[in-house]
Amino acid sequence: MTVEKLNRQRVLHLLDAIARSDLQAALSCCTDDVDFLTHAPIDVLPHIGPCHGKKELGEFWRTVQERYAEIRYEVPQIVAEGDTVAAYLRVFFRKRSNDRIVQVDMAVFYTFRNGQVAQIREIIDSYDLVQQVLEREIGPLILGERVDGG
Amino acid sequence: MTEHSLWRFSRALHRAINDRHFEDIEALIDEDVEWALYGPIDMFPFLGARQGKDAVLDVIRQLADNFQVRRFDRESIMLGVDSAASMLRYSLTALDSNKPISLRVAQFAQFRAGKLTSMRVLIDTFDLVEQALGRAIHLPKMTSVG
Repeated sequence: MTVEKLNRQRVLHLLDAIARSDLQAALSCCTDDVDFLTHAPIDVLPHIGPCHGKKELGEFWRTVQERYAEIRYEVPQIVAEGDTVAAYLRVFFRKRSNDRIVQVDMAVFYTFRNGQVAQIREIIDSYDLVQQVLEREIGPLILGERVDGG
Repeated sequence: MTEHSLWRFSRALHRAINDRHFEDIEALIDEDVEWALYGPIDMFPFLGARQGKDAVLDVIRQLADNFQVRRFDRESIMLGVDSAASMLRYSLTALDSNKPISLRVAQFAQFRAGKLTSMRVLIDTFDLVEQALGRAIHLPKMTSVG
């Protein structure tokens, strides 16, 4: 099996572990110094920020689990070359607070070292994500109207 | 060794946007291409999903009407046989305001016989909107959900 096929399988295995809330299995796919970075407004998503190392990444995933009862992934496209894999993901999060589904398309770029994930970089349609998390349009905020948070 | 379709497409796309030279890009797009630039279409009408070559060329013309690419850096790139994914940082100029805009972008492309058949682009859109507005959007602080 080529390294590309192997790394693609490793990414799918990691996503499966996250989806079934097996954080130990998910973290075992990562190097001790795994580096995670995504971009989204921290006012609305305070837990989303850079994570360095398994402990911080584990805490991030745990926070996501606390907020969402179910996480489901679809992988419409995945491209691998050498030690890198890029996955186009459609992710469905079911909120614990009211059972509503947040659906997010995200691009995730993984870098492997010795068969483990050493770096994760995400790009998200963050405007849409914020609207879904707030459960309202951002337009009034742009116009300066006050909207209360949860 | 044959050049990957992504490189030809990328050169033609930038030539179309910066020089309004559309002939090269037109030859590299499949008639049934599927195209999606995800983001708020009410603010940026050239975002959204399109199907077919004519619709995609129309979007590229709209991009050329609105932006100039000053610089782009590929931070990460993966090339498959007929596919490619890359993470880029674009430095653009908005032509109506002459305002600089810096974007993080992820591109997922698929090709058939050297022509683009699918393009999905994700952008850090909240950042894009704030830059286009020229100010921060004040969001409510969320502590219990999200």
